[in-house]
Amino acid sequence: MTRPEQPAFHQSRQAREAESVIDQITDRFDDNPQSMAYFYDLFRSVYCRGEALPRKGMQIGTTCIQAPEELIYAVGATPIRLCNGSYHYDQIGGDFMPAKSCSLVKATLGMLNSENPVPRIGELDLVVNPTTCDQKKKASAMIEGMGYQVHDLELPSAKESEESRLYWQRTVRRFAVQLSKVTGKKMTRKALKAAMARTARAQAAFRTLHNLRKSSPTLFLGKDAFLVTNAFFFDDIERWTAAVETLNAELQQRQQEGFQAAQRKAPRILFTGSPPIFPNLKLPLLIEESGGVVVADETCSANRMLYDMSAVDEWRLNDMVDALADRYLKPCTCPIFTRNDDRQRRLLELAEGFAADGVVYQAFSGCQVYEMEQRSIADALSAKNIPMLYVETDYSPDDMGQLSTRIEAFLESIKTRKRKKRS
Amino acid sequence: MLANIRQRVYNADLKRFRFWLQLGFFVLFVYGGYLAINLGNSLPTFACGFNDQGRGGVCYLLPLQHQLSGSWERLFSWAGIAVLQGFLYFTLWFIVLNKAWCGYACPLGTLQDWLSSLRRALGIHFARYSERSFRTLTWVKYGLLALTILIPLAIGGGLLPHSMGTPFCDICPGRMIIPLFTGDYSQFTIDFSSKTSMVLTGLGMLITGLFFAGAFIKKRFFCFFCPMAALHYLVSKPAFLKLKKDGSKCTRCGDCYRVCDMEIPEIADQVDDPRIMKDDCIMCLKCVAACPEEDALKATFVGIPIFKATEEGFIKRMNKGADSDPS
Repeated sequence: MTRPEQPAFHQSRQAREAESVIDQITDRFDDNPQSMAYFYDLFRSVYCRGEALPRKGMQIGTTCIQAPEELIYAVGATPIRLCNGSYHYDQIGGDFMPAKSCSLVKATLGMLNSENPVPRIGELDLVVNPTTCDQKKKASAMIEGMGYQVHDLELPSAKESEESRLYWQRTVRRFAVQLSKVTGKKMTRKALKAAMARTARAQAAFRTLHNLRKSSPTLFLGKDAFLVTNAFFFDDIERWTAAVETLNAELQQRQQEGFQAAQRKAPRILFTGSPPIFPNLKLPLLIEESGGVVVADETCSANRMLYDMSAVDEWRLNDMVDALADRYLKPCTCPIFTRNDDRQRRLLELAEGFAADGVVYQAFSGCQVYEMEQRSIADALSAKNIPMLYVETDYSPDDMGQLSTRIEAFLESIKTRKRKKRS
Repeated sequence: MLANIRQRVYNADLKRFRFWLQLGFFVLFVYGGYLAINLGNSLPTFACGFNDQGRGGVCYLLPLQHQLSGSWERLFSWAGIAVLQGFLYFTLWFIVLNKAWCGYACPLGTLQDWLSSLRRALGIHFARYSERSFRTLTWVKYGLLALTILIPLAIGGGLLPHSMGTPFCDICPGRMIIPLFTGDYSQFTIDFSSKTSMVLTGLGMLITGLFFAGAFIKKRFFCFFCPMAALHYLVSKPAFLKLKKDGSKCTRCGDCYRVCDMEIPEIADQVDDPRIMKDDCIMCLKCVAACPEEDALKATFVGIPIFKATEEGFIKRMNKGADSDPS
């Protein structure tokens, strides 16, 4: 039996979906930083042309930010974050999940179940699935059913207690052992130290970029920032870091020249909630096309993934592994945990530090935990007089018209507030 | 210019700074006497008075116990003034450095840090308390402080024999260990002159053994039980040096708690009260050095920040750790 002729990759639905978004990101905005070309090209190559990335060692897929990547690097393997943002895969993934479930989980399943997945991840030697929300928990067995080897990384559902901390430390230690088993490589102190230094350098570059966005007028648009952090999902970490450092240098140059990437009066937006993942940059793009600017975020595809850095007191293997465990649990503001005080404080701190005029809260329909936290976050923000727009959406483009009206109205109301405040 | 100096201080390698300062204080308190240094006998740190030759001053607990064991008649008349005077001098010394006396000046504390370095060099992992043990054991030092004060008082009232005159010193590992550094081994004995002396010095011997074993596997093992630390805490309110936390800037990542030798959970968890110095704190400021959040933790001296958490400083220090070989 001969297989039916596959259409050329760039003509496939997922490639065209990606292409239209990357075109939107590059063409509809003026003054894109020159150093963003690296990231635009990267996404075109990976998503639109389906080119495989050169990989070192075994490939280990991760489905959430809580899987410590340093451990994966330390055994000579490469982590790749599988969370997917494609509507095309969201539809395929619909076969696995109930109708009202999270687009991100569905898209990830859909991508893993495709013959021709984008990004072109190639063979996965292991999929690490932190037991975060219910949907990701249940996805574990489904991924296994597709023929992947899955390691469930048991995450506690509360993070304050000492018990949860120790439980998670044990989970992470067991993961380190499992990694050695899968790769057949012993984890050495030296290798882990080097891996931690590499990640720390990437984080330092991210933090510099993050801090540059405090600048007013804005130097840099949020749609580009999301693309940069999104690239971290699959790009080579050293190349990524170098590209971000180049970008930072350009932005520092812009700062000195008094450059403005958006209008001086453009409402400054803090983005929170369900993570924008390429090509689903619908909401950030709508905000910035309507004259707002996303100056900071509190999402697991960007800030939450890269911001928090680990501290080690004694650079020995066991202390390093425990330090990593702490860094991936304690500061995490994921809504799956029982309490969200940390998330509230983090948002208030970001809103203040970045002089945000308003918050846009994205919840993917079916992501119950974000939906449930909406109220407490809105209350915490309104107590500080920060307006918030809550948007429940998914990967489908159907609600674009409705969303753009709401976002324009929100931005307009912020402008009015600012005018009133001044007069 | 000033901003420049500040930046350099905030980026400083605290570990190295602390090592040399601790060494300096160690020499001052253990060998200062040879240089005719005498800082008096109300020092809020274990500058052991039994180290006759070398001492550069005397730990306040020794004269305190002495004074309190005088007869009640005298104690509640003119001798009481001497007690108050001693306490005043102690407080004056203390409020300058606050608990940094423990983290930087105490010779016994420094010794424990050296034991930790030895353990690290041997590649042995440190031990930690469980949260429950921590919460229970933290009261021991108050019990010891109460006994350190009540036993001499009871002696003065004729309720206990005079051989118990300095009960805490009898069991303090400092009395046995610190004189060793000036070649005085005489304290390393059990005193058979009376039954109580025998029991107490025997207990002291045991505690000294525990001190070495404990401090080897557990960072700052003894400080957790130190009655001096309890006494410090009671008078720490007016201190010039302060440790403060801005909870709104804290992500509760727990980096500070990880590096805390005293395992104080509040350093990471407490976000509503800026007064973060707890009774177990030794003000080593390792938490400040390990905090990646700008301004979240800071040490101030009469209100002026002298060391604070900065992102730049954190990245520098942690990368230093990542480049170098195990320290």
